[in-house]
Amino acid sequence: MIDTLRSEWIKLRTVRMNAVLAIIAIAFPLVITVLTAVLIDSDEMNARDLIGLVTGTSVITGMLLGVIGASGITGEFGFNTIRPTFAATPKRSRVLVAKAILTVVVGVAVEAAMVALCYGLGSTILNGRGGDVVWSDAGNAKSALVGIICFAGIVSLLGFGLGMLIRSTPAAVAVLILWPLVAEGLIGALLAVAGVDEPFKWLPYNAGINLGNPDAGQTSESLGQVAGGLYFLAVTGVVCAVGAWSTMTRDA
Amino acid sequence: MIAVQGLVKRFGSKFAVANLSFEVQEGRVTGFLGPNGSGKSTTMRCMLGLDRADAGQSFFGGRPYHELERPLHQVGALLDAGYVHPGRSGRNHLRWLAASNGLPTSRVDEALATVGLTDVGTKRVKTYSLGMKQRLGLAGVLLGDPHTIILDEPANGLDPEGIRWIRDVLVYLASQGKTILVSSHLLSEMALMATSLVVIGKGQLIEQCTVDEFVARYGDHWVRVKSPRATTLVDALRAGGATVQAVDETTIEVHGPNAAEVGELAARYQVTLHELSQQTGSLEDAFLKATAGVQEYTAGGVR
Repeated sequence: MIDTLRSEWIKLRTVRMNAVLAIIAIAFPLVITVLTAVLIDSDEMNARDLIGLVTGTSVITGMLLGVIGASGITGEFGFNTIRPTFAATPKRSRVLVAKAILTVVVGVAVEAAMVALCYGLGSTILNGRGGDVVWSDAGNAKSALVGIICFAGIVSLLGFGLGMLIRSTPAAVAVLILWPLVAEGLIGALLAVAGVDEPFKWLPYNAGINLGNPDAGQTSESLGQVAGGLYFLAVTGVVCAVGAWSTMTRDA
Repeated sequence: MIAVQGLVKRFGSKFAVANLSFEVQEGRVTGFLGPNGSGKSTTMRCMLGLDRADAGQSFFGGRPYHELERPLHQVGALLDAGYVHPGRSGRNHLRWLAASNGLPTSRVDEALATVGLTDVGTKRVKTYSLGMKQRLGLAGVLLGDPHTIILDEPANGLDPEGIRWIRDVLVYLASQGKTILVSSHLLSEMALMATSLVVIGKGQLIEQCTVDEFVARYGDHWVRVKSPRATTLVDALRAGGATVQAVDETTIEVHGPNAAEVGELAARYQVTLHELSQQTGSLEDAFLKATAGVQEYTAGGVR
């Protein structure tokens, strides 16, 4: 397993697109945070507000990490490198587990770096401008930062699962991005019209995003922070299981 | 040794490989021949577990491929030189392959040097020519110094020097006792490097034998005769039931009797001979004759 992990790590690091996506994933929320911290009246933003800004913008980071997760397997099918991969490691499950582990580790690591950079730089700038951003004042909002890091890990894994299932980079990325932006809204609306009570809380992405919201679950319209995260993880697990079954049984 | 037993692979209702069995012995280059669409590549993918066979098994040294713990140490396979990420450097491509089987990076540099790609190892594969990709693929095959080597059209895209190089490499490896199965459409090349053949058509075994046996069985045989009195000899040969073709005024090609029989006939008629030689057709001729009924795709004639 260690050999396979090393091999997959080399693959991940030696494709330039992954590095570019990871840089954008960190740079985008960082730029938003810095611009906000520089331009906003420093008295108007406390630690909770800054955490809200970081978790809000980091959804983009999660999506980009999902794209890295998807392309980690779709790229193999697209360039047919899946064949030398499975020829070198005939136990396909070993390859898929190694890829899944690295996908989650990279997703969590990049998101954690982004969160630390954004909060650290944002609070430094605001406090430098006379603001009062104090970590200890953030209260339960701190859990949102941990939650959004978990969210990024799950989205990365979801991307990988979709990649195993769909095998095409454009199609997997389209599903990954259009599902939360378009599909869940349509499905929720249709279910509501059909008379289903509070349908949105059972939509996977909608539930998962609660990981970045410590106040989620206070009404019956949404699952709680932890419950929503676990529900999203369970759905992702199902997608990955079906994708792995497909990859292990079909011709490479 | 490689043993393929009762391999079956269907795509929908079409049989790509139909109950195919053969063996590949060590210490020799075995050519894997068949017309386009005969199932050679599918067979190779099934042997490596890349395509799921509907029935049958393949064994490498007595073990199925999927049971090999670090297969690159035992089997090196190159199915298509294009199976490389174009954005990755050749060296990095070999690095991940080596890492997957616990091979040190030093083996990567040795393999690159063996195939002559050291200078371009850090360049991205998308800048490589097809010939360079073939060499990179062969470097991947040699990484683990395997005992068994499987190559699908390894000479594709190589220049004459490259084709000669790969032939020399394979013949040398076979002389070291390795088991080598190689498919190629370059039958003249195959005739030079292979000592055994596995010939298939429409997914079924047509013949498994040595190259000499194959050519003897399916190739044309005739006697070339050069004589100042060829006309006299032609009449005598035709009277004996032989088929004779005149090449020029003094040279004929005789189908039917062998060289000894032609020589004795010439002696009986006191015909002086300047040349009497047994001729044998090429591997290409033998292959075309053997596979005449199992061509998946045939071209129309040239007008």
